[in-house]
Amino acid sequence: MHRLMSVSLAFAIVASFGCIRPEGAKKTLAGSELYAACASCHGEAGAGNASIAAPNIAGLPAWYVEAQLVKYRSGIRGYHPEDIEGLRMRPMSRQMMDEAEVKAVAAYVSSLKAVKAAPSVQGGDATAGAGQYATCQACHGDKGQGMDATKAPPLAGQYDWYLVSQLKKFKGGVRGAHPLDTTGAQMRPMASMLADEQAMKNVVAHIGTFSR
Amino acid sequence: MIDQYVESISTFSGDIDNVIWVVFLIVGFWFVLAELVFFGLIFKFLAKPGVKAKYVSGERPEEKRWVTLPHYATLAFDVAIIVLAIKVWHDVKIDLPKADSTVRVISQQWAWTFVHPGPDNQLDTPDDITTVDELHVEKDKTYHFELTSRDVLHSFSVPVFRLKQDAIPGRIIKGWFKATQTGQYDIQCTEICGIGHGIMPARIIIESPAQHRTWNQSNAPKVADAAPTTPPTQLGGMP
Repeated sequence: MHRLMSVSLAFAIVASFGCIRPEGAKKTLAGSELYAACASCHGEAGAGNASIAAPNIAGLPAWYVEAQLVKYRSGIRGYHPEDIEGLRMRPMSRQMMDEAEVKAVAAYVSSLKAVKAAPSVQGGDATAGAGQYATCQACHGDKGQGMDATKAPPLAGQYDWYLVSQLKKFKGGVRGAHPLDTTGAQMRPMASMLADEQAMKNVVAHIGTFSR
Repeated sequence: MIDQYVESISTFSGDIDNVIWVVFLIVGFWFVLAELVFFGLIFKFLAKPGVKAKYVSGERPEEKRWVTLPHYATLAFDVAIIVLAIKVWHDVKIDLPKADSTVRVISQQWAWTFVHPGPDNQLDTPDDITTVDELHVEKDKTYHFELTSRDVLHSFSVPVFRLKQDAIPGRIIKGWFKATQTGQYDIQCTEICGIGHGIMPARIIIESPAQHRTWNQSNAPKVADAAPTTPPTQLGGMP
């Protein structure tokens, strides 16, 4: 009973602090400590979870993770009322207290071993998608490896359902429409070149042939 | 009394405070009395040299009334509390007064989306104004809200209104409020809804008729741009 009371009291004290770190507490948490909050959706290994629409983030470049976190924190991404998953990420991104913590968690995500997500989208024609991928290739690389110079993240290894959903969001103005989202603004016309959902599935099926 | 800690600015918040206050007084009175009797009896019957303890069965009328009288009093006060609470419950939750305007409140992990009727005061028309984490209403105007959830259980809570209503996926739950004062106040989720539950605050902005008209005109029919944004340089952790 005493143990139960002690544990309850400890929880109550921790809960009373909320997200405010008390005086004397460590000011900047390490990336691995901060990642504990991310792990509940993205998994310990960063491999994502399709059932809650959490993408595979393991091994993504630190600059990309950092850029997206900054966008979420500032309301440039995840601000549209229809961006349900983005709205979920927005408050989570604000768990980091400052720029140093954003960089720390981005570095930790980048250090996770990259894994290739299993395909789940049916009906995509990788051969037909190869032609359409030519447009993407200029920025994302011929093997979907991503390019720092063009601020284009790797696509290889990502969940196919995630890529389709993001293409739909870009095309529909749910993502990339904020005036300050310059890289998102580049993606919007690219996504609009894909005529319909089948075209999106095709190009994503082609991306699925790349190794990670 | 309660409004010294949390402002009371809806037409029914005072009624709810009164119920809480009455419950506090009744429970407080009986708590103090029970403790006085309890400790009084303990000290009165402390062990004394030469006095042997005896077993009291509690069957004699003068013994039984120590139980029966508080029992009847508890029932009587319970009925009084229930009658008072049901009246307030009916006024707040059941009997919705005629609405001057209706807003839609959409909860999700971990954000609030609000659909305002816009200048034409009708929902589901092109001039609807959709915002994230920011609800704009007009002072002294009766609002109905249509509360929904996109995913799990949430609870729409506006502490200064003393308003709290669960949101249930698949259901549209109606309620109402009427603000009596302008200003900006907190909206909270008061149903544990996942890891981000504690960090899904929103704000209700209560405006004068002129301010609200200006806000309506300047935001309709923009949909996507109404969410508040903060430059990255101004962020320091939790907003």
